[in-house]
Amino acid sequence: MIGEAVILLGCVLTLLAGIGVLRFDDVFERMHALTKASAAGLILVLIGAALLLPSINDVTTLALAAFLQVLTLPVAANLIASATYRAKDVPLRIDTVDELRDDEERSLEPGDRGPE
Amino acid sequence: MIIAAFVVLACAAACFFVRLLIGPSLSDRIVAIDGMLVVGVSAIGVEAVRSGIGSFLPAALAVTLVGFLSTAVAAHFVEERDS
Repeated sequence: MIGEAVILLGCVLTLLAGIGVLRFDDVFERMHALTKASAAGLILVLIGAALLLPSINDVTTLALAAFLQVLTLPVAANLIASATYRAKDVPLRIDTVDELRDDEERSLEPGDRGPE
Repeated sequence: MIIAAFVVLACAAACFFVRLLIGPSLSDRIVAIDGMLVVGVSAIGVEAVRSGIGSFLPAALAVTLVGFLSTAVAAHFVEERDS
């Protein structure tokens, strides 16, 4: 019963990630919604499945799947974000603070060996 | 309650699929495909609970790793396309 409730909660979090990806109006906001909400939802689903499945073999497989997802999902989001930032055809709506641009400008100054 | 979890996951997959269809840039479509892979891994876990058989849970591992690789390669493609 508790496991099924945890699974349903994780599925609702995944649905919230889907709604966020559908409704937000910028690539970075969509990536933000997907990465955080769906990682939490997947962890909850796998915890609920580990509570309900009897075999210890299944539980270790679920733990490894959750660990790999937590390890790879932020890296993938970071790769998409930097690639989107550097792509030419995507309009950037960054108004006030752009730390990546400031960093790259500072590292491109002559006589400078990159950011300290 | 397991059936309700399947229905909610199907709604999430529908949201990601609409974003995959209407996404204005390639990065939106990559994000949508990534979300659909997460929904797939969740569905594998829920199906294992529904049937009580966990013998295809390693498929969740495979989907996770293949999804990360495909996202990394697609991000590299986005970055290299216009430079």
